[in-house]
Formats: sequence, C-alpha cells, structure tokens
Amino acid sequence: MGGTIGIIVDISLNSLVLSGVFLIVAIGLNIIYGLSRIMNMGHGALYAVGAYTGYTLVATGFNYFVALVIAPIIVGGIGLLIERTIIAPMRKRSMVYTLILTYGLMFFLDGMIKYVWGNKPCFIDLPAFMQGTLSILGTQYPIFRLVTLFLIAGIMGGLMLFLNKTKVGLILRASSTIPEMVSCLGINMSYVHMGAFVLGCIMAAMAGIIAGPLTTIDPLMGSEMLISSFVVIVIGGLGSLRGAVLAALLIGFVQTLAEFFITDLAMVIVYVLMAVILAFMPRGILGEGKFE
Amino acid sequence: MEKRNKILNIEGIQTYYGVSHVIQGLSMYVENQEAVSILGRNGVGKTTTLRTIMGLTPPRGGSIHINGVDTTKAPPHKISKLGVAYVPAERHIFPGLSVEENLMMAARPGKGKDPWTLEKVCDHFPVLADRTKQDGSTLSGGEQQMLAIGRALISNPEIIIMDEPSQGLSPLLVQMITDVVLKFCISSGITMLIVEQNYRMALKVASRHYLMGTKGKIVKIASTKELMEDPEIIQSHLSV
Ligand SMILES: Nc1ncnc2c1ncn2[C@@H]1O[C@H](COP(=O)(O)OP(=O)(O)O)[C@@H](O)[C@H]1O
Ligand SMILES: [Mg+2]
Repeated sequence: MGGTIGIIVDISLNSLVLSGVFLIVAIGLNIIYGLSRIMNMGHGALYAVGAYTGYTLVATGFNYFVALVIAPIIVGGIGLLIERTIIAPMRKRSMVYTLILTYGLMFFLDGMIKYVWGNKPCFIDLPAFMQGTLSILGTQYPIFRLVTLFLIAGIMGGLMLFLNKTKVGLILRASSTIPEMVSCLGINMSYVHMGAFVLGCIMAAMAGIIAGPLTTIDPLMGSEMLISSFVVIVIGGLGSLRGAVLAALLIGFVQTLAEFFITDLAMVIVYVLMAVILAFMPRGILGEGKFE
Repeated sequence: MEKRNKILNIEGIQTYYGVSHVIQGLSMYVENQEAVSILGRNGVGKTTTLRTIMGLTPPRGGSIHINGVDTTKAPPHKISKLGVAYVPAERHIFPGLSVEENLMMAARPGKGKDPWTLEKVCDHFPVLADRTKQDGSTLSGGEQQMLAIGRALISNPEIIIMDEPSQGLSPLLVQMITDVVLKFCISSGITMLIVEQNYRMALKVASRHYLMGTKGKIVKIASTKELMEDPEIIQSHLSV
C-alpha cells in the first residue's frame, strides 16, 4: 500500500515541478505575444541558453542561487540586443515576417549553443544540501525537486508583484488591453515592446536554469520546450493566465505519466487534445484567450 | 494687449484609411485658452480629425503645429508630451486596471500652483474617490466618462481634445459632464477642442464652432453668439 501512495506522491510532485517549468516558459511566450503580437520561435532556444549559461556559471564556481539570478540577467541582455537590432525594425511588418525572423533566430541560437558548449549533455552541480532525498509518505523524494517547487512559486509570486505593484508592470498590463490609449498617455510603445521581449527572455532563462538539474542540458532541450510551451498557450488560450496555469498542469501531468510508464502515447493524446481545442475552442479551455 | 497665439494650428490636412480619403483638406486653429467645438453629422470625419491631431492616423498631406512645433508626422506619445490630452469617444478605460491605476497611467507633474494629482482628482470627483480600487471597466458609462476626464486632467495638459463626451449618457449625466468640463477644464484655463453631436452641450462649453460637412470640409465657422441668435445656421449647414 505504502508503495502505491509513494508512486502517487512521486508522480504528483514530479508533474507539479514540470508544470511549473512549462508555465514559466509559456508565460514568457504569452507576455511577448500579448504585448507585441510576436510569436517568438526563438523562445525555446533562449530557455536553453539560460540553462547553459547557468551551467557555465556554476561550473566556474558560482553558487547555484547566484547563477539563478545572473543567468537571466545575461539572457535578458541578449534579448535586449536581439529586440533592438532585428525585431524592432520588423515590428510594423505582418506577423509572417517576425515568425520567419524568429524561426531564423532559433537556428542561430541553436547553432551558437553547439558552437560554444558542444553536443555533449551538461549537468549542473547542485549545492550539497540539495543533493539528498527527503522521506515523504513512503517515498524518498529528491530535495532539489522540492527546492525547485519553491523557486517556481517564488518566480510566479515575483512576477505577480512586478506586474501589479510597479509602474512598469502597470504599463505592461495597460498595454495588453488598449495599446493605442497607452501611447496617447505619453508612453513610447517601442519601449513597451522592448520591455515585454526582455521580460519574456528573463522568464525563459529562469525556467532554463531551474529545469537544468531536472533533465540533462542538451542542444535539443530548447526545441522540445518550445513545442510544449506552444501546446500550453494554445490549450490555455492565447493571453489567458488562468488558462495557461491549467494547461501547464495538464501537460505536466501527462508528460510525467508518459515518462513514468515509458510511453509516448500520452503525448499523442496531448497533441490530439490540442488539435481539437484549436479547431473548436480557439480561445482555449477556459474560453479566456484574448486572441484566436 | 497680449496677442493670443494658436496653440493648435491645422493647415490643409489629408487623412486616409487605406485608400479611403476621409479628410480632404481641413484647416482650423484653436487659440490659447480658447474652447472650440467641431459640430457635424455622423461619419463626416470628426473622430478622424481628432485621431489625426493625436498622431493616431497621421495625415498624408497638410501640416499640424502644436505650440509652434510641427507635429504632422509625430507619434502619439510625443504629441501627448507636448501637453495634449485625448478623451476618446469610447473612453478607453483600461480593463483590469483599478480606477486609481487608470489615473496613475496618465499622471504627470504640473507646472501651475495647484496641479492635478490623485488627491485632487478624488477631491473633485467623489464618484471616483469611492471606487479607487474597483476595476475601471466595471464603472457605469457616466462614471467611465468622469474617469476619462480625470485621466486627462491628471496629466496636467495644456489642451484637451474630447470626442463626444455626451455620447450614450442620460440628460442628467450630460448636464454633470458639462458642468465638469466648464468648471475644471475651461474655467481653469485649459484649451479645449471638443467634438459633439449634442449641439446644446457644445454651445454651453465652446465659444467658437466649426461646422463640418462630408469629408471633413468646414462649411461654416460661427461664434456661440451667432448660433444662439440664429439656430437655423446649424440646421441649414448640417442637414443634407
Ligand atoms: N478604421 C476605419 N477604416 C476605414 N474607414 C473608417 C475607419 N474609421 C472611420 N472610417 C470612415 O471614415 C469616415 C469618417 O469617420 P469618423 O471620423 O469616425 O466620423 P465622425 O466621428 O464624424 O462620425 C466615415 O465614413 C467612416 O466610415
Ligand atoms: Mg466620431
């Protein structure tokens, strides 16, 4: 009996952790899309760059938690450079242009990753206290996964505070509703778009470094995550926060089950579900999506 | 005597929506501290004129100067920073933002001795003061109009351009909005350009009126006095 409960606890906690990572990546993607109508195909690659940067920082002697702060800042800087040099000049064009542009960005970043870090998988060395396990209801649960859960909660809480309690957050929220009126109040929308892109990149990088220890860091992690986060925002409804939370929980759970029972069938079900939702509920499971 | 300067000067603007030529050569001006109205039937181009001034639909020809600065090709945020506040007909209250947050989006320090601040808006607009934490988009139409005006005032502008503030409101609310405009905008020296289809309200707040015919063509310019003495002017110029 204890064994069964242990498995349930394992699966539940694992899927929560995975859902959290999906959620953070997907929210980053959603913020960029919601504010500037750019579907950033390079988002997964930026997530991977975050993970690799974190790996390098830890490997060169930085504390894991310090790396958790520095890596997103570095990736945010890369995002700023990308936005100002290639995305901003394309903004007035139709969405197809930015889609192709960011698709190219994905290949460029993937290539850079292979150039800088090679093809071999990397592993983040965790601080000693995170390496053990904790006994929870009959299962020995890895401590680092519990820490990751707290980090996810912290990141989400921090994001909510930023959006709800700061002037920049206020401007971002207003801009996601009536951007034209925001510009009539004296705010340069070009900077709003820039801020949204950088914030999205920071979210991707944070997800990358907290996901690093969960999986191996390899050149494929970015494109896998891009697909998963697409599924999350499509099922949740573009621009819907509550929808994204629900969809992330769903995808995290299904993928955990799939890994546990070593079957890919579960993911097939997810894609079928996505196709059905795309066809019949273009605004996501809660019908809350702001765009179709 | 001090010569009043033209705070807003529009010369021969041509505005298009795609290939549709909506404003065909409009010229008008508003002097400092003057209150001017644009009167005209539905669809003649009043809203488009305000959008063109605001930089939302820039003109393809002609010129616009605000306080002497050429803003013909300027983006909305630059025009706002020159002291222009826009109150659109849709009010455009940000949904999901509280009344207070809607105001804070626009707040800007003022130069005068008694500038508009959050406290001052709350003092003068009791309906807003009672609802500062409420989602702005859940307010009634009249309250949203008050909020839109409060949001214009809190930017401490030199000129407010207002699009049909009376639209969709009951006569009582139109009276309240008229009082607010007279008391806080006009009496306190803010220049006003107001678009209305409610001619009675326009005559109460503005002193000079542009009567607009199709395609933004000005068919008559008249003072309030002239229009009061001869109500036929509006009828003859604005009916087809
Ligand atoms: N976004 C738009 N696209 C194309 N045509 C428009 C658009 N907005 C307004 N129009 C047209 O431009 C003309 C002027 O509209 P508008 O300025 O809104 O008039 P008014 O405010 O005087 O009622 C109308 O014929 C209207 O149909
Ligand atoms: Mg109109």
